[in-house]
Amino acid sequence: MMNRNFAAERRLSLDRRQFMRGLGACIALPALESAHAAGAAITVPTRMAFLYVPNGTIPSAWWPAGDGGSDFALPPTLEPLAGVRHRLQVISGLQDLSADPGLDGPGDHARAGGTFLTGVRVKKTAGSDLRAGISIDQVVAGQIGHLTRFASLELTCDAETKSGNCDSGYACAYVYNLSWRTPTQPLSAEANPRLVFERLFGAGPRGERVANLKRRQKEQQSILDYVLTDARSLERTLDGRDRQKMDQYLTSIREIEARIENSERMPVANPGMETPGAVPARYDEHIALMFDLLLLAFQTDTTRVATVLIAREGSNRNFTEIGISEGHHNLTHHRNQPEMIDKVKQIDRWYVQRLARFLQNMESIKEIDGRSLLHHSMILYGSGIGDGNRHTHQNLPILVAGSGGGAFRSGRYVTTNAEPVTNLFLTMADAMGTKGIAQHGDSTGRSGVMS
Amino acid sequence: MTTVASAQVAQRSAVSDYRNEISPILEDRCYECHGDGNDKGRVAFDELSSDEDILNRDLWLKVLKNTRAGLMPAEHKPRPTPEEQQKLEHWIKYEVFAIDPRNPDPGRVTVRRLNRVEYRNTVRDLLGVDFDTQIEFPPDDAGYGFDNIGDALSVSPMLMEKYVAAAQAIIAEAVPTVEKKIGERSVPGAEFTGKGSGTDASRKDGRLRLSYYEPAAVEKSITLDGPGTYLVVLDLDVNGSFEFDPGRCRLTVKLDGKPILDQEFGYYSDKTFSLESTHRLAAAGHRMSFDLQPLTPVAQKKNRVDLVIAKVLIQGPLERGKWVEQPNYRRFFPRPVPFGGAKRRAYARELLGAFAARAYRRPLDDDTAQRLAALAESTYHQRGQTFETGVAHAMAAVLASPRFLFRLESPAGAASPLARTALIDEYSLASRLSYFLWSTMPDQELSDLAARGELRSSLAAQVKRMLADPRSEQLARNFSGQWLQTRDVKGIANDALAILARDDGEEKELHAVFDAVRNQGDFSKAPQLRNKFGRPRMQLDDDTRAAMQRETEMFFSSIIHEDRPVTELIDGNYTFLNDKLAKLYGIPDVTGADMRRVTLPPGSVRGGVLTQASALVVTSNPDRTSPVKRGLFVLDNILGTPTPPPPPNVPALEASEKDFKDHEPTLRESLQMHRDKPLCQSCHSRMDPIGLAFENFNAMGMWRDQERKQPIIAQGTLVTGETFNSVNELKHILATQHRLDFYRTLTDKLLTYALGRGTEYYDTETIDRIVQRLQENDGRFSALLMGVIESAPFEKMRTSATATAAN
Repeated sequence: MMNRNFAAERRLSLDRRQFMRGLGACIALPALESAHAAGAAITVPTRMAFLYVPNGTIPSAWWPAGDGGSDFALPPTLEPLAGVRHRLQVISGLQDLSADPGLDGPGDHARAGGTFLTGVRVKKTAGSDLRAGISIDQVVAGQIGHLTRFASLELTCDAETKSGNCDSGYACAYVYNLSWRTPTQPLSAEANPRLVFERLFGAGPRGERVANLKRRQKEQQSILDYVLTDARSLERTLDGRDRQKMDQYLTSIREIEARIENSERMPVANPGMETPGAVPARYDEHIALMFDLLLLAFQTDTTRVATVLIAREGSNRNFTEIGISEGHHNLTHHRNQPEMIDKVKQIDRWYVQRLARFLQNMESIKEIDGRSLLHHSMILYGSGIGDGNRHTHQNLPILVAGSGGGAFRSGRYVTTNAEPVTNLFLTMADAMGTKGIAQHGDSTGRSGVMS
Repeated sequence: MTTVASAQVAQRSAVSDYRNEISPILEDRCYECHGDGNDKGRVAFDELSSDEDILNRDLWLKVLKNTRAGLMPAEHKPRPTPEEQQKLEHWIKYEVFAIDPRNPDPGRVTVRRLNRVEYRNTVRDLLGVDFDTQIEFPPDDAGYGFDNIGDALSVSPMLMEKYVAAAQAIIAEAVPTVEKKIGERSVPGAEFTGKGSGTDASRKDGRLRLSYYEPAAVEKSITLDGPGTYLVVLDLDVNGSFEFDPGRCRLTVKLDGKPILDQEFGYYSDKTFSLESTHRLAAAGHRMSFDLQPLTPVAQKKNRVDLVIAKVLIQGPLERGKWVEQPNYRRFFPRPVPFGGAKRRAYARELLGAFAARAYRRPLDDDTAQRLAALAESTYHQRGQTFETGVAHAMAAVLASPRFLFRLESPAGAASPLARTALIDEYSLASRLSYFLWSTMPDQELSDLAARGELRSSLAAQVKRMLADPRSEQLARNFSGQWLQTRDVKGIANDALAILARDDGEEKELHAVFDAVRNQGDFSKAPQLRNKFGRPRMQLDDDTRAAMQRETEMFFSSIIHEDRPVTELIDGNYTFLNDKLAKLYGIPDVTGADMRRVTLPPGSVRGGVLTQASALVVTSNPDRTSPVKRGLFVLDNILGTPTPPPPPNVPALEASEKDFKDHEPTLRESLQMHRDKPLCQSCHSRMDPIGLAFENFNAMGMWRDQERKQPIIAQGTLVTGETFNSVNELKHILATQHRLDFYRTLTDKLLTYALGRGTEYYDTETIDRIVQRLQENDGRFSALLMGVIESAPFEKMRTSATATAAN
């Protein structure tokens, strides 16, 4: 297969290189120049993203030695991050106990995925009555989303969906969706780079994108009015779960209306690059492109909140690109076999290499205050499973890159003592400027470790 | 008597029947594990004391399933007599579940959003546009194994945004916004023929490639619509090697012998020319020719430079009176647009009313038609907008409406306020039928019958007609594609090198190569080293994967369309193959890429879906088979007795391997170690013997006689006691002794797919009746299909009174 796809891959690589050249051109323009030119007071916004990797990591290669502090050596899995070490906080001891089996029995992967950002025990169902909780990104987007054209952005690099159930009687919705707008409304994520780009910046040749976007939105207004009336009159005749579906429809329509209003108030950025292509054949290129798009969305202040599913929880992808023919999930059940552990470490590190490239790009972009985009961000990278071999949900591999605009001291290894990861989310939400969020899921307070 | 009071009476009688009739049976047959101090699986019948405990539906649904499947009482323990079993089933169905056999609860289907497949098909049938939803829309969430389950199909702002944008794009493509336009025809360069026009290789994607160094003369005759002025556009590309080449040439283009272009071309690596000229032409035949003369001797050729004739575009006649009507114009605008505001408005209302009724799949109310006409008017009243643009805009609104995107259903007539159930109206029935059998909207005939109220009375004939329609391929594709997971074939990771190395017992060496690469830390060398290890003799390229998927779909489709016994899905004696798939199977004499029906020789291992490559591949790991997944696949999809999922902290099989000293353990050996652990034994004794029977098929679905140089043993014993020596004997057992289990499982799956909801305890009666019907009709597919279509849950709905009470 490798040979067969070679030509296609090369072509796609070329597409991506061209796209990246464009990105370079874009980087040269400070993001908030227009605001500056208008004489507005300069406050650089803080951005937040949650990047999810499946199946936990091998703890021995993930955790730094020592008891914490700024004097720590990067362990093997995190070595690729050396260039941005000063921006990292590696945080141990965080847990997601809502994903423990409890009375629900097996299904740790689905639970870890569905619980991670929601902090609640998801309902075990094959589909009839999905119930998770609102996810932290959506809590934050609900408060600050009106400040940007997009309240939030949901991306995925796991384009293939699976038939059947996903894990031990849990619906696939828990595995494929990190973001939940309400406990019953998962937000599907976008995998296609072209569609992400067109959604953010408009379709068509570079010179026409913004105009296309505006024209389309103008045409949409009367369509939205019409369907809103339709939906309202229908909603009155429905009950139970039917009504819930119509509520989803109505809130979605209102959100599009709000975005159109925002577009009238806020400038639509027009990045200096061609529209990227469809999903690349190579996984590393797909991840790189999605990270590029995320960076672009942050840089242009098109959104400040995002989630990226790098791979779905329980993913059994094999990594022939680094000579690993076994599936990731299979390998993580290694029962201490050194060869298997070694391969999982290689996979863990491979993922971290993708992260490193993204963080370095974030670091290379300077905001109007002279500090980097990464400084002004909080990029959480991690998994809802600690040790994949035993499906534990304690001591989750979590790191936060970026200083949240100065809210955090970075360049540290931080140890905590069995704290819900939701506590950390609350601290991050505070740094985003949200107010009055007393609790999130199973949180027990603010995480003290960050300040 | 009130409903509440009668329910209380029924409950009291159910409990007393339990004590008098059922409890003694359980005492004889079940207490050894579930009574007298034993509570295997945390079930102890003698500890059920309260009425609530005794009438626990979840418990009795499990009892029903396990006793019917023969899983309990366990092997070698005394079983209930047929009379006892019948008594037990009767009590569970009619007393615990309180099913009223004359009027079973149809259940509640949550309003269904069109999924990606249904949306695409519906738009195609409604507007004649193929909109690729696989690319444009995110995947749909699935429930109960299918992607058409109302509860699982949600709407998010992003999806809604896509729906609105899709509506605009689809309408823009489908609906002409002006009546007439300048005519246009495009002649691909590859259609020009003659001297020096090169080999087939020079004609690709409709383009003709000519070298600067070879003289060429090509021509083509062209017929035009009528006399008039025409614009001729020559679309040419100059395409050279990356490095400079000194080549030059002269191109002369003639129309009817008169030069319209005479130009020299030099080197470019890539440059496009679009050369226009205008001509007055008669309607009769015309000739256009391209003549290329080299200006640089071949001796000076350094690299390469070619002239590519992409296409010739001819627009005209340009005179306004001679413009031609747009291809689709009459489809959407059957009459000329009238003059005058009121008449226009009435026309818009008529057009949009008819369109929206089709799109919403039921008659339209006046108010909606009025609103649509007003929406159209608000657009065409704007300066510079045509009437057609306004109507098109309102059509886009129709496609974004919840009435289009959701399948809304209504009861037939006004139900009596006391009735618990009502028939669905005929428009709802038409949609249920068409989305079930075709995955698309009802056609005109179904809608007409529904409008006349005659659909329900002609169901059997309509189903027959619908199955004869090519759209019924959708049932095979979407149902079997998910039931048997063939949809996953194209995306599943499959590493031919590792799989074949394992069969040959050479994986150690292969992994040594990989480890060497990893230890060097230079991953980019991996592909080369892989090739050094040797190209695998077989691998699953896209064509092979597509053929695997098609095989299962076509096979399922043949069972439907030839009305064959459904047990042939397990042990049929024919299949569908092309050259690549036949090679993978080792079946000779199948040539060419077209899939065709192949009768299998007696004793062939390939009959039935379980030994088709699609099923074998989706139940494998990337590098090896997984007997556990294969066993589970059969339990889930054939026998309908899924085991509880594994407890946490279970190691992968690879982890047990180091306990073997003298040779690499086969999967049978690894699994045996697994099964020796008491914790694992109870479930694995159900899955493993089945999965191991398929070990002769590797993870690519190829036959093999050995794994890791050890001979493969397919022999085994089912937990229900039957023994077999080969996969064919296992298939025979499944298709005969477990026929009822299979009927029940297939019915459950098809009913789930047809209804768009998971089946519930109250569906037991419906499923039993369909299984009965299958038995009475030699298991023919039509009995299953009509059984589903004529069932209460398919034809009826709960009334709003029951809905509130039952939720």
